Amino acid sequence: MAARLSAVRVARQLTSTASRRPSFLPSPCTQRAAVPLQRRLFTVSAAAKEKKYTEDHEWIDVSADGKTATLGISDYAAKALGDVVYIELPQVDMDVNAGDAIGAVESVKSASDILTPISGKVTEVNSALEEKPAGINKDPEGEGWIAKVQIEGEPEGKLMSKEEYTAFTEDA
Amino acid sequence: MAPSRGLPLLRHISRVLLGPHGSIALARRAISSFTEKLASPANKVQSYISSSRDPFLNLSIEDHILRTSPPDSVILFLYTNRPCVVIGRNQNPWTEVNLAILNAAAWGGRAAEGTASPTIGHVDLVRRRSGGGAVFHDEGNVNWSITCPMADFTRDKHAEMVVRALRGLGIERARVNKRHDIVLDQGHEKRDVDPYDTHMTTYTTDEGALPRPLKVSGSAYKLTRARALHHATTLLASPNLHIIPQYLHSPAKTFIQAKGVESVSSPVGNIGLEIAPFQSCLQEEFATMYGKAGKHCIVETVGEDHLKIPEIKKGYDELRTKDWMWSQTPQFTLTLRPWDDIGIDMNVHHGVIKTFEITGARRSTGNLEKVRSVLLKQKLQDIHNWHDFLRSHVIPWDPESTMIADWLEKLVPVPELPNI
Repeated sequence: MAARLSAVRVARQLTSTASRRPSFLPSPCTQRAAVPLQRRLFTVSAAAKEKKYTEDHEWIDVSADGKTATLGISDYAAKALGDVVYIELPQVDMDVNAGDAIGAVESVKSASDILTPISGKVTEVNSALEEKPAGINKDPEGEGWIAKVQIEGEPEGKLMSKEEYTAFTEDA
Repeated sequence: MAPSRGLPLLRHISRVLLGPHGSIALARRAISSFTEKLASPANKVQSYISSSRDPFLNLSIEDHILRTSPPDSVILFLYTNRPCVVIGRNQNPWTEVNLAILNAAAWGGRAAEGTASPTIGHVDLVRRRSGGGAVFHDEGNVNWSITCPMADFTRDKHAEMVVRALRGLGIERARVNKRHDIVLDQGHEKRDVDPYDTHMTTYTTDEGALPRPLKVSGSAYKLTRARALHHATTLLASPNLHIIPQYLHSPAKTFIQAKGVESVSSPVGNIGLEIAPFQSCLQEEFATMYGKAGKHCIVETVGEDHLKIPEIKKGYDELRTKDWMWSQTPQFTLTLRPWDDIGIDMNVHHGVIKTFEITGARRSTGNLEKVRSVLLKQKLQDIHNWHDFLRSHVIPWDPESTMIADWLEKLVPVPELPNI
């Protein structure tokens, strides 16, 4: 599982054209998600509608109609990374699969990937971060959001409430 | 210093893998056992040396270690690359590297422009997955990398380990600086310092004071949820110190405004050690640090055969794509004012020319408009020669178009590199 996800991640990191893969070459992810995808297109269960956090320190905030998710990195992650000098944003209209790297952050000679816990199509990116990457340190869970995704399917992987996430980071 | 438990084993495995009579079957077994050993939760402390000089392979083995090793393990990996320029994940090759001299053949053709011509032949260009700035590698440089749990990670911890190893070899001027790099202090004065302080030596001068310390090791990091990779160069005995600046200074630097990460240039020096004793001493220092009672330390050699491991091959192929090398470059703008009455602004995003504006009094010339429309939406990585590319699209050709092609070829070349 981990190996497969990381392989997909790398492919995405490497080339933006990966998202425009011809349909005769489906990734294992899309194959597996095909059935629930048809049934649940553009809906997400109510439980996911409060702001949630991943173990990779991203947050996801689903809009009231359940169609759009806003993604970003947590306060904890922004503090741990230190001064961010560059943020690689995804491209608008890019199709992403849950678990993919949709961008990257660089701080103090360190590169780290930004992963999406949800599949869908990127509809908007926070271009202000391209001009001022340090903005993500100021308000990572607000003005420093990274991308908006038109949701397809349910989020994947463990999602935590604010309280659960706080406990998770205190354990680490 | 603790004796290294692993070295006899290392020698044995080297013979099996690399000896003249080593069979393919043995090699295969060694490879499959590499991934098994690497991933086994029992192996908390592991140490590898690469026999390959291929920077793409060594970086891919390293990435495989980062992805595959158990979450609570610590892995040391040592490797030396053939001559190459390695840029950080989020850097711009056109501003960081003198691309025109990478190809020995290309350099030969342009020798008149340059100073002394380099004698090192072809130099590979590599974009690594970690952050940080551009560095030059050759056979006089040892790269060390540590993969450890994110929870134990600090940016200095393993640079300090390397400083201890260097001091053990008599390099008493070595210390870790504020940028997490290793430098050799050049001061004359001897001040009283704690001999165990890895951030100060008796020759440390006040910050900014002369003589400046010489950088001998540069650090970069790749962080994931559970794991942190710290890798760094170590200039032991590079014969190329005098020409490194030629490779790392780009003629386009002043014309390009780039997002992403700009290198911080530092004076560099050789430590003056041979590779083998440094590697052994570093392995011993690593074993001392982590090889506590009950933790078996695995020590092995890896190399070209490991390219048969599918995950390593995949990472290797990816590093060598044009997309990764050129189109991964963060957004940049080239601003050219070749004549008083005409100028060019070219913006490149995700490797594609997004805008190409011609400014000034002569901008309405028909050919310049043609140049513009040909270049818009063009992927930079597919233009191997600006003259050929523009000439095939802009008819009739004229002196102004030649001038533009000249400038673009000089400032944003996309050289054909044998390994990309």
